[in-house]
Amino acid sequence: MSDCQGLGDCDDARMQRIYEYLDGALTHEDISEIKDHLDGCPECFEQYDLECVIRVMVKRSCTEAAPENLKNSILDRIHSSNPVEA
Amino acid sequence: MILVEDAQRAAEPVELWSMAMQDGAVPAIPAARRNVTVDLKAMSTMDPAVAAMHEAAAQETIVDGQALDVATETPEERRVRFERDAMQYVDQLYSAAMRMARNPADAEDLVQEAYTKAFSAFHQYKPGTNLKAWLYRILTNTYINLYRKRQREPLQSNSDTIEDWQLARAESHTSSGLRSAEAEALDHLPDSDVKRALQAIPEEFRLAVYFADVEGFAYKEISDIMNTPIGTVMSRLHRGRKMLRDMLADYAAERGFKAADATAAAGSNKQENRK
Repeated sequence: MSDCQGLGDCDDARMQRIYEYLDGALTHEDISEIKDHLDGCPECFEQYDLECVIRVMVKRSCTEAAPENLKNSILDRIHSSNPVEA
Repeated sequence: MILVEDAQRAAEPVELWSMAMQDGAVPAIPAARRNVTVDLKAMSTMDPAVAAMHEAAAQETIVDGQALDVATETPEERRVRFERDAMQYVDQLYSAAMRMARNPADAEDLVQEAYTKAFSAFHQYKPGTNLKAWLYRILTNTYINLYRKRQREPLQSNSDTIEDWQLARAESHTSSGLRSAEAEALDHLPDSDVKRALQAIPEEFRLAVYFADVEGFAYKEISDIMNTPIGTVMSRLHRGRKMLRDMLADYAAERGFKAADATAAAGSNKQENRK
């Protein structure tokens, strides 16, 4: 159980708040409120920081280039098919 | 007039689904679920002001500045427009397909199939709406119809049957208050571990996390792509992220990274549970 209840009264609530913050799903008012809290609360900041690290990792790991031939074979298929008329 | 527009919007998801299922596939989603997206706005837990901002941002990204009359466009013009606007997302769709199909050959098939369907349905795409989200939606539908069907699993299989121990372990990690050494330890994990962790979490959680964290789609866009209410998207994200974090902490511990001590102390019985 977290000691700080500044972002919510349980861990789930706190994490949900942090997720929404990072997801850009909050109002300007909420955003500055959370920002202020994170600046002054090492405990919540740690959770926030860890989440940031994970996001960066996931993004880095999942950015893959499609095989060279894929684009060409898509184009081939498109060129040999007739688009449906609107 | 308003009524007509609403009716068009309502028809959109259904059109897409039937398009994706044109090869006689049995619908993987019960008919009742298909209309869920229609009431997305009402179900949104987002602040209306923020939702409006998202919408405004979406408008901005797509408007190409030209008044396009889709109805009078020739097939050749449409093909050129498709190649110009849609082909730039091949790498991104391939990356997403790798999270779905689990091997490069299937991922390629999936992307190729999705693009073929997108092209033949391109006259249904409304210029000015989010093209990338539209393509992702077709990719997701294609995946559900082509691949999930083969696995003979119901779409929602895992949503409510996540093993209790997975959640309990996620709780124990979170409640312990992970050290920033933990963050550092996780950061040292190789990409292959991150991919492995993602693959290990149930599909609908994995895809929601992928759409949000990698592609940066808003909740509403994810709900459109996955054809689920926003509330479901949010709970999938919440649980998926906790599972991912927990899994990564385990991998860091296995690799003997420093934060392992903190992690081990946090969930003293987790190794037991894993067996």
